[in-house]
Amino acid sequence: MATWLLCMVIGLPWLGAIIVWLVGDDRPRAQHWLAVGFSAAAGIASLALLPFVSDAPALRIALGGVFGDFSLVPDGLGVFLAAVAAVIGSLAVVFSMDYMQGEAQLGRYYAFVLIFIGAMAGLVFSGSLLMVFVFWEITAVCSYALISFHNDDPKAVRGGIKALIITSLGGIGLLAGGLIAYSHLGSYDIHNFLAKAGTLPAATLSLIGFGFLAAAAAKSAQVPFQTWLPDAMEAPTPVSALIHAATMVNAGVYLLARFYPAFSAVPGWTTAVMTVGMLSAVLAACMALVATDLKRALAYSTISQLGYMVFAIGAGSVFASMFHLLSHAVFKALLFLSAGAVIHAVGTRDMRLMGGLGKKMPFVRGVFIVGGLALAGLPIANGFFSKELILEGAWSSAPQWMAILMLIGAGLTALYTLRMIRLVFYGQPRSDLHAHDAPAAMRFSLAVLAIGTLTTWLLAGPFGAMLAGSLPFHHLEVTGTIALVGEILSAPLTWLALAVIALGLVLGLIWPSLAPLARPFKPLADFADGGLGFEWINRGVITVTDGAASALRTTQTGVLSWNVAGIVFGLILVLVLLLTVGR
Amino acid sequence: MTFTPLTIGWLGVLGLVGVALYGLLAVRNLIKLIIALQILVKAAMLALILGGEASHQVDLSQSLAATVIVADTVVAVIGLALAVQIKRYLGSLDIRDLSNLRG
Amino acid sequence: MVRALLLALAIVFAIQALRTNRLLPSTLWLAGLSAMVSILFYQLGARQVAVIELSVGAGLVTVLFVFAISVAGDEALSARPLIPTLVAIGLPVAAIVLLGVLALSLSPAASPAAEPGFTVALWGQRGLDLIVQIVLIFAGVLGLVGLLSEGKAPLDRSMAEEVIAQRDRDLRAIQQRVENSQKERTLS
Repeated sequence: MATWLLCMVIGLPWLGAIIVWLVGDDRPRAQHWLAVGFSAAAGIASLALLPFVSDAPALRIALGGVFGDFSLVPDGLGVFLAAVAAVIGSLAVVFSMDYMQGEAQLGRYYAFVLIFIGAMAGLVFSGSLLMVFVFWEITAVCSYALISFHNDDPKAVRGGIKALIITSLGGIGLLAGGLIAYSHLGSYDIHNFLAKAGTLPAATLSLIGFGFLAAAAAKSAQVPFQTWLPDAMEAPTPVSALIHAATMVNAGVYLLARFYPAFSAVPGWTTAVMTVGMLSAVLAACMALVATDLKRALAYSTISQLGYMVFAIGAGSVFASMFHLLSHAVFKALLFLSAGAVIHAVGTRDMRLMGGLGKKMPFVRGVFIVGGLALAGLPIANGFFSKELILEGAWSSAPQWMAILMLIGAGLTALYTLRMIRLVFYGQPRSDLHAHDAPAAMRFSLAVLAIGTLTTWLLAGPFGAMLAGSLPFHHLEVTGTIALVGEILSAPLTWLALAVIALGLVLGLIWPSLAPLARPFKPLADFADGGLGFEWINRGVITVTDGAASALRTTQTGVLSWNVAGIVFGLILVLVLLLTVGR
Repeated sequence: MTFTPLTIGWLGVLGLVGVALYGLLAVRNLIKLIIALQILVKAAMLALILGGEASHQVDLSQSLAATVIVADTVVAVIGLALAVQIKRYLGSLDIRDLSNLRG
Repeated sequence: MVRALLLALAIVFAIQALRTNRLLPSTLWLAGLSAMVSILFYQLGARQVAVIELSVGAGLVTVLFVFAISVAGDEALSARPLIPTLVAIGLPVAAIVLLGVLALSLSPAASPAAEPGFTVALWGQRGLDLIVQIVLIFAGVLGLVGLLSEGKAPLDRSMAEEVIAQRDRDLRAIQQRVENSQKERTLS
């Protein structure tokens, strides 16, 4: 049964992609409903896997000597992330029914979204390092295709290529680590790797560990690879909600969580992970504070929250990190989709042109505030519980100064959240914008996500039990929901954190009157807006790549015979190699 | 070099490969290019079966050759479909006119 | 001896297939080559695959080629290759010389195990190949449907020309209107 469900979660979206493409762009209604049907089926199949969580592979196909086994393992971590991807994926597809109304080339859009959902499920279910890499790259390609969906817009195309280059360069770290592990252990199996990690020589293990960290940092847009995520906001908003908030960027955190038992003993690894997480959390929060584009602000917020998750793994609290991943996926998707509803109605992403939209869009304002409560970490919503768990883990296992900075980050989070809400929904309208409240399909997705934001924290106990039961190498200690809530509410750190958050909120309310105080800080704000100097490095990398590509254009003569001659020449080279070295 | 049946077989395969490679490089008509590709694949199949006979594993090599036949037929189908479409839109099957990929 | 004769005929057929100027005779020479290869398979002991090769290679593929040629037309083209003849002859010669050195120095180790029979080998040992073949055929059909569907827009080049032409017409219409309104203003 588990085998069938696993194949359905991966295979149904892929089948749906082919069918939606074949139906053709002259039947958009059929395409919308087919996409919803297939993604909903995948969501239901992933939820149906919950009773079947186990550590043993449910599907194993031997691929022959070099490639190892293709195996799918429905353990707690995999089922959890696949359910997040499929369920939030189907909600984003439902949202797209209204958001992409009247757009051209829907077949391409839905096909790539569905392929992405299947590939993400495959990534988290894979029991073989090689298969993880294959699915990793498939999600990167789908992300590129969807960011550059409006391929007549040069900004979108540039954003897509930037995302592809950065995440692929990170993927090299994953492949290198996997190949090194294979050469030492003779197998790609993840279970095998986690069991035998201690037998690898220290230098090799460090190499693999830092390679994986680089891949995870690139995929999850952490410092120093964070510049692609804000530029990826050129994608249609349901894509931003699904890929760049709830699923693909979690792949990096998943990688770190999955392989934590293997690398926690490597000297300097956990410190490096915590440093990367902390820098991303705080720096991205600063950048969110000065952003003027609504989606860019949310992108920086995503980088910051991912930083919290990465930091938690470095501090050893894998459960807290995964719990925050669950909360973040739900509330960030909610925030992105409501931002999408706003952008769809008013036609601009610039917050300086918005204002006073709350009166015209009360439903969207309501759900956005719910998401904002979760993001800021206020007690009713799920973000509070997960963030407090992370801060507690930080306080007990991380160096003091890092924990304090994370605490300040929480305050900054509340500050920029309030700023966003105030700029968009309150105050006087700053320009003449036509606005209407969200249509039915959008409202459905937003309502489901809002209810989720207010309730997923109740699942803490069973969630922890599921993870602890199926991850034998992680040694997680978990308690029931009520015990967890009691523990959080009684810790003094919680009240300190709430005080910092309250301070952030108060500052947010009086922010406009602080403007004269902020004037000497303006150069700093501009620096933050320019990505704190990282943009310069990235532009350099892209210029070099472009230059090399242009120089190689002369080899494209356009005459087919030269291309064939090249192939035959390659064959000759291979033969020479075989004759000289292969002997 | 002793001319065992195996050696004669290899020489034949090499001859076919040489003819096919020359065809791939020198031919200008797109459909004839696909014919040259077919010759190359038949040479490869022959090599497979030859190896199978020499190591007494004919059945295994037959299975591999059957897979190659299926793959080769699919390649021919797609290649011919492409050729027909190119003739329809560019009006010519000469590869000199297929220079859209010039850098 | 039979083997040498069959191989020589196969090479002759292959050369003829590439030398003829028109496409239909070329296809017939290819069918002849398939027949020779099929007989060679039979002579080497591969009975089942000989039958498959005869029906698919000499039958199905030939029909496909004839169909494609009837749709695309059968004009004779000049035979001069587009790359220097030295390269066109030199590269294949180098390749087969190297291949020859590699292949002829191999001495196959005779496997002592009993042969399992064709069906067992195909369905048992190479089962994954069959799954891959199904995926290939599926992909081939999809590719065929996608390529040959009627009613799609013409290639980008002609579409771009159309767009430019339309834009010229619009521009001229606007210019005409501007001139007209200017004339009205000078008259009033």
